[in-house]
Amino acid sequence: MAYSFPEEVLEHVFSFLSSDRDRNAVSLVCKSWYEIERWCRRRVFIGNCYAVSPDIVIRRFPEVRALEMKGKPHFADFNLVPEGWGAYVHPWIRAMSAAYPLLEEIKLKRMVVTDESLELIARSFKNFKVLVLSSCEGFTTDGLASIAANCRNLRELDLRESEVEDLSGHWLSHFPDNCTSLVSLNMSCLGSEVSFSALERLVARCPNLRTLRLNRAVPIEKLPNLLHRAPQLVELGTGAYSAEIRSDIFSNLAEAFSVCKQLKGLSGFWDVVPAFLPAMYSVCSGITSLNLSYATIQSPDLVKLVSQCRNLQRLWVLDYIEDTGLEALAASCKDLQELRVFPSDPFGAEPNVALTEQGLVSVSEGCPKLQSVLYFCRQMSNAALVTIARNRPEMIRFRLCIIEPQAPDYLTLEPLDAGFGAIVENCKELRRLSMSGLLTDKVFEYIGNHAKKLEMLSIAFAGDSDLGLHHVLSGCESLRKLEIRDCPFGDKALLANAAKLETMRSLWMSSCSVSFGACKLLGQKMPRLNVEVIDERGPPDSRPESCPVEKLYVYRTVAGRRADMPGFVWTMDGDKSLTFS
Amino acid sequence: MELQLELALSSSSGRGSDPNQDCNRRRKRCFDTAFLGVMESVDSPQTLPLLIWDEKQRSNGELHEQKRIHDLAASDRNVEDDVLVGWPPVKSWRKQFGHHSRRVCATNYVNVEHGGGDGGGRGLNSMYVKVKMEGVGIGRKVDLSSHRSYQTLIAKLIAMFGKCEDNVETYKLTYQDKDGDWVLAGDVPWETFVHSAQRLKLQKNGY
Repeated sequence: MAYSFPEEVLEHVFSFLSSDRDRNAVSLVCKSWYEIERWCRRRVFIGNCYAVSPDIVIRRFPEVRALEMKGKPHFADFNLVPEGWGAYVHPWIRAMSAAYPLLEEIKLKRMVVTDESLELIARSFKNFKVLVLSSCEGFTTDGLASIAANCRNLRELDLRESEVEDLSGHWLSHFPDNCTSLVSLNMSCLGSEVSFSALERLVARCPNLRTLRLNRAVPIEKLPNLLHRAPQLVELGTGAYSAEIRSDIFSNLAEAFSVCKQLKGLSGFWDVVPAFLPAMYSVCSGITSLNLSYATIQSPDLVKLVSQCRNLQRLWVLDYIEDTGLEALAASCKDLQELRVFPSDPFGAEPNVALTEQGLVSVSEGCPKLQSVLYFCRQMSNAALVTIARNRPEMIRFRLCIIEPQAPDYLTLEPLDAGFGAIVENCKELRRLSMSGLLTDKVFEYIGNHAKKLEMLSIAFAGDSDLGLHHVLSGCESLRKLEIRDCPFGDKALLANAAKLETMRSLWMSSCSVSFGACKLLGQKMPRLNVEVIDERGPPDSRPESCPVEKLYVYRTVAGRRADMPGFVWTMDGDKSLTFS
Repeated sequence: MELQLELALSSSSGRGSDPNQDCNRRRKRCFDTAFLGVMESVDSPQTLPLLIWDEKQRSNGELHEQKRIHDLAASDRNVEDDVLVGWPPVKSWRKQFGHHSRRVCATNYVNVEHGGGDGGGRGLNSMYVKVKMEGVGIGRKVDLSSHRSYQTLIAKLIAMFGKCEDNVETYKLTYQDKDGDWVLAGDVPWETFVHSAQRLKLQKNGY
């Protein structure tokens, strides 16, 4: 080379690049940039833990400080992935304990984490700071005790939505008296009561605590004690928000909230007694994020609270809010960006609340910044969807669940193709879409033609034939994740678009019409894909090749087939004959 | 001497492959394709599809046939006790906190005691509990509400773990009750068992 730009300078320049895409681009420029970049990459994100192996990651990036990784497919949230499927983090922890002694952060989603793993983390990483376990399972409060006791510089312990075997609340008392570094603690998913005095002392000695999400067992009467010790809190998750109605409890609570001038986010609110909600009014004007999805209170009380929160950007709420409540929301909260409405009675045959498509239409009309929607309801019309699409062309995430599968437009009894077609046609920035209701192959034609930025698509009980799937796979250029259940999609579209699957993170198909023979062919011909057949009826080769498989999970990988499959998962590949345990 | 810079795409992985060697094999890319929107389709492989899609071959009759066959089979799929698995798509712990009126209260208590994430997976009365089989590292989950007797439950568990169903009698089922004690299953009436079992363990009878 005629010149040599000092490595240190390049490294310094690269240190300003935080996005993985930028870093990946940089590493492709030339050999020396590749080398410099890989030695200074500190954060690694792995969207599918089976797409790569610990050894490969460690070999390429020797100095990682933060790992973020996801395991099970999204449909595992709805019990579609049988227990024992995989996503064990332990091999990663084992490998990293040797290779990354300076590791500071581990963030996992939908993975199986054991106490053994937690203990290994606590022992191996002297400077460990951040542990976020989102929708994980497999560990107990004993594992948490190890983390609390040994991680001297722990900043974040966030167990959001994880399934923890709750042996006792004693784990919290394992934080040593000299632990003052906590910034974020989320224990909302735990059942057991922790020692309140230990919690109080912990909160008092951590001056940087910004996020505190309590569990249901922390009673409302004790909340002021914590708030007074942490007036700098930015995010608070209450415990059970109920007590007998006494004026001293109320006034203590109101006073405590009034000193928390920085509060921006509120959650918790189990067992809400409406009489205690006004205690929070003093902070409402600063609130940007409100999670009331556990609050089983009626619309008038919800409206009173929400209309105080003029700067609200994100609202999660139960359908008790009803159409009238959403209309009030649309009138008061002009900064609203994200709305999630959850069903209070998902399995009831009849509607229990007056929430219809109209509520969503109102919000789409009144909230000019609305870009992210998750909405459960019992009726929908093409007209409403067209209106929503025209009102909010900058929509980014649109997830609609009409509770009755294959429900048509309730006004015209037609499929909802035109409505969802309008969504993808108008909302050119749409990145995520979940559909429901009666849908034919036509809607997939619209999606294939228009949804060019769509990255994730969820389909259920929709379509007529392979043509539907073909439109999606051949048309959606940005598609990364596709999850399908109970659709009449078979072999043809899958095999005709096999190459597309290598450009995506993963494909999930359950209760469709993909034959075992097609799965075998796909696995044999596409060595860079893992084609996993999940079938609890027994080995697929004990049935005819034309027999459809129960579940199919296809993902691209550079690590080859995995070695930890349970007895009901088979990988199709051409190297060996079908193997099963 | 002119410095020649080439932009080249590495082959699809981090297997320590050297992207610059690949440079020599590929043509030089122009600025537009290199920088504008290429990264998303970096790995657009040049493989042929495994099947050629024929636009004309899908006649209406074929479409309806495909859907009809699928719908017929659908009744066997994914349905336990007339309830669809995983539908509506609500995370199991969300179901506990909603409106209770149509639900059996006991069911809710069972769900809550399972640690908040367990159970309540499907339907009005579903009651998922964890099951471990002696000698098998990985546990499973079973829906107690989809069974009516100890016999069907044990048979299902044996099948779940891939063992031979013939000798049901050689297996012993124990469960952990609400007090945390491990008790031999079969002594109490089925309904009582269903409402008190927190987790199950299946063992082969000792010799």
